[in-house]
Amino acid sequence: MDFYQGNVLRIDLSSGTSVVEPLNMEWAEKYIGGKGLLLRYMWEEVPPGVDPWAPESPVILMTGPFAGTNVSTASRLVVGCKSPATGILNDSYVGGSFAPEMKFAGYDAIIIKGESPEPVIVTIKDDKVEFVPAMPKYWGLKTSAIEEAMRRDFDADAKTLSIGPAGENELVWACLSTDQYHKAGRGGHGALFGRKKLKAVVVRGTGSVSVGDAKAFLADMYRIHTEYVLTEDNLWANEEGTPVLGQIMSDAGVIPTRNWSTGTFDKMEGINSDAFIKIRTKNRACYQCAIGCRQFHEVDGIAGEGPEYETIAICGANCGIGDIAALSKFNQECDELGLDTISSGAVVALAMDLTEKGIKDFGLRFGEVEGYLKAPQLISKREGLGAELALGTRALAAKYGHPELAMEVKNLELPGYDPRGSFGMSLGYATSDRGGCHMRTYPIADEIVGGTLPPDTLEGKAMKIIWGNPAEGMIGENFSSVKFTGIWCDFWAVTPEQIGQIFKHAWKREFSDEEVFQIGERVWNLGRLFNLREGVEPDDIPQKLYAEEGAHTTGASAGRAIGTATFKAALQEFYQLRGWDENGVPSEAKLAELGVDVRL
Amino acid sequence: MPHVLISSKKCTGCHMCELACAAQHEGAYRPSVARLFSECNPTTAVIKGHTCLQTGCSKCQEACPNDAILTKEITVKVKGEFAGKEKFGDTVKGFVLVVDEDACTNCGECYDVCPTGVIHEHPTREVAYKCDLCDGEPQCIAFCQNPHVLAIDLKVDKKDKELQA
Repeated sequence: MDFYQGNVLRIDLSSGTSVVEPLNMEWAEKYIGGKGLLLRYMWEEVPPGVDPWAPESPVILMTGPFAGTNVSTASRLVVGCKSPATGILNDSYVGGSFAPEMKFAGYDAIIIKGESPEPVIVTIKDDKVEFVPAMPKYWGLKTSAIEEAMRRDFDADAKTLSIGPAGENELVWACLSTDQYHKAGRGGHGALFGRKKLKAVVVRGTGSVSVGDAKAFLADMYRIHTEYVLTEDNLWANEEGTPVLGQIMSDAGVIPTRNWSTGTFDKMEGINSDAFIKIRTKNRACYQCAIGCRQFHEVDGIAGEGPEYETIAICGANCGIGDIAALSKFNQECDELGLDTISSGAVVALAMDLTEKGIKDFGLRFGEVEGYLKAPQLISKREGLGAELALGTRALAAKYGHPELAMEVKNLELPGYDPRGSFGMSLGYATSDRGGCHMRTYPIADEIVGGTLPPDTLEGKAMKIIWGNPAEGMIGENFSSVKFTGIWCDFWAVTPEQIGQIFKHAWKREFSDEEVFQIGERVWNLGRLFNLREGVEPDDIPQKLYAEEGAHTTGASAGRAIGTATFKAALQEFYQLRGWDENGVPSEAKLAELGVDVRL
Repeated sequence: MPHVLISSKKCTGCHMCELACAAQHEGAYRPSVARLFSECNPTTAVIKGHTCLQTGCSKCQEACPNDAILTKEITVKVKGEFAGKEKFGDTVKGFVLVVDEDACTNCGECYDVCPTGVIHEHPTREVAYKCDLCDGEPQCIAFCQNPHVLAIDLKVDKKDKELQA
């Protein structure tokens, strides 16, 4: 069928073999691609109750139908696994050029299972799959070096999805890297690559993606670009990128500062958008993206892409760091070692907090650069204080008797938005299907950036978390789920109607807005079933984020508290609106209505 | 010329031009057979564009032992933005070099002399293929249309300029 290659490449690392299987098109019709198709494959491929670290626990690479075409931003790859951090589903998205290359090589998805006896690299050139020993040349290389080595030794146009030293050491928040700065960051896919002794998957494709009448498709994509993509609403990402959020969040009392002890950062001007614009050198785009949000910077000899807002918040403000050079260096270290910056910053901030409170002296203090800059390397090697920090925030805080200082949800460290400044985020974090995450729903868009919803109430928010606030731009869980089947980037504010127009090219039929939303709701419910099957913790967030006594005493959000009863009531309202019972289990009626084709 | 040129400074490396080029000429998205390409180092963001300079270069034409590379007059109508608009208006007349597939023997002489590496053997047709400016509606320019980073532009040489009048 047009847009799909119809092939799944199944790799068994234990035996060093691979086989090509047909893509399940019945599933593709229901779940499209990306997140949806990934979750359907995970339901089948993850043995129920499996230990995430076990050889039979898969890592799945899934593309979307529009990767490798002129559909702007739809080049993203989603990587899925049962997360070793959370024990539930983890879908982690990455831009760059890996997914289109996979399509050109002929595959919609790659399912990786088993455990290699020796470190290995899997190289794929069209239909030729090889298992190349990673020792002694490649194992141990940082992320930029392994990519360069693959371009030199395998193919000049090779696209590499790799782990750095952190993944090799099975650090639970090790990420996957591609095109150097692009990370499937969250949930520990890099740790599983490390356990499977898989240094990298490298792909080169010279084939084609067919779209039916290519000239007609090109003409329609030209229309969609000029009318919908290249608009003022989307160009903020090109002109400033995510650093623009820093000052806005600080002014609103939303930026986590000094391990979430306040929401306004007194050194923000050192790391806000104006500061980054001064050191900006270049602007780059992911494959097939007309927006181009990736900002390159150079400061004190540190040159490269980023940091993005979440890193600015969690590795900057949250560690008390207002020094742009130090923050850029920390970001670069994490990139090279293959560490997720959110979890890295969060655990360093926790260690600083434990030190300053006199609970345990790690020699790390808020705002002090020296120890801060050494941390990523030590964590990735589990050396010195890194051995303890590698536990992650939950286990580290528990070890020293202060679990309340760990800012995570379901053992995934929280990103850069404090719900005490934007109440909607509390429900978003609690109900996120992969734990602490800002990418499922984004109340910030309307509560803070747009100002079209009040930030200091949960009244009516359960509905918004589910369905979003499409007229104003806030994305809800159902819509993000369908958007990530595409797989469109967050930075194109695509509408359900526009998604329908693009789906039509693939499926040769009309898609109403209602159906587009319903696909998203179907995907979200499938994810919920997966999490219930694998055993998910109760939906909750750190209590101080909603309890009266947890309110900030300083900063722009001082004195505001959601209230425990209000939070719990909103969660129940959310379940009810979703057609789930009081424990968050989807009803048979809801699953039947949505056409979900699996049951607990 | 006219020919397209990729600005190394402005290009963001999105490869939209290669995709559109392949879709236009191959009837499917196969950028490994695009008529132009942008070479990007993901780590350093150093970018080098590779495009055909048409009659401004003509090395392929000079090297061809079978006179299979023809000079053809075309009128280029560019969609979207392009810097030459103010000078030339919405259309530009000029010459491009095209492959006469009946005369081409796939001998490979032109592949070796091309300074930008944009004339190759077609993977299925066994003849040379190259940029023909999409017969006057270049899709690479149409899809390099972010008004803030417009990186592909149309250039003309003396020969073409005489035609404008």
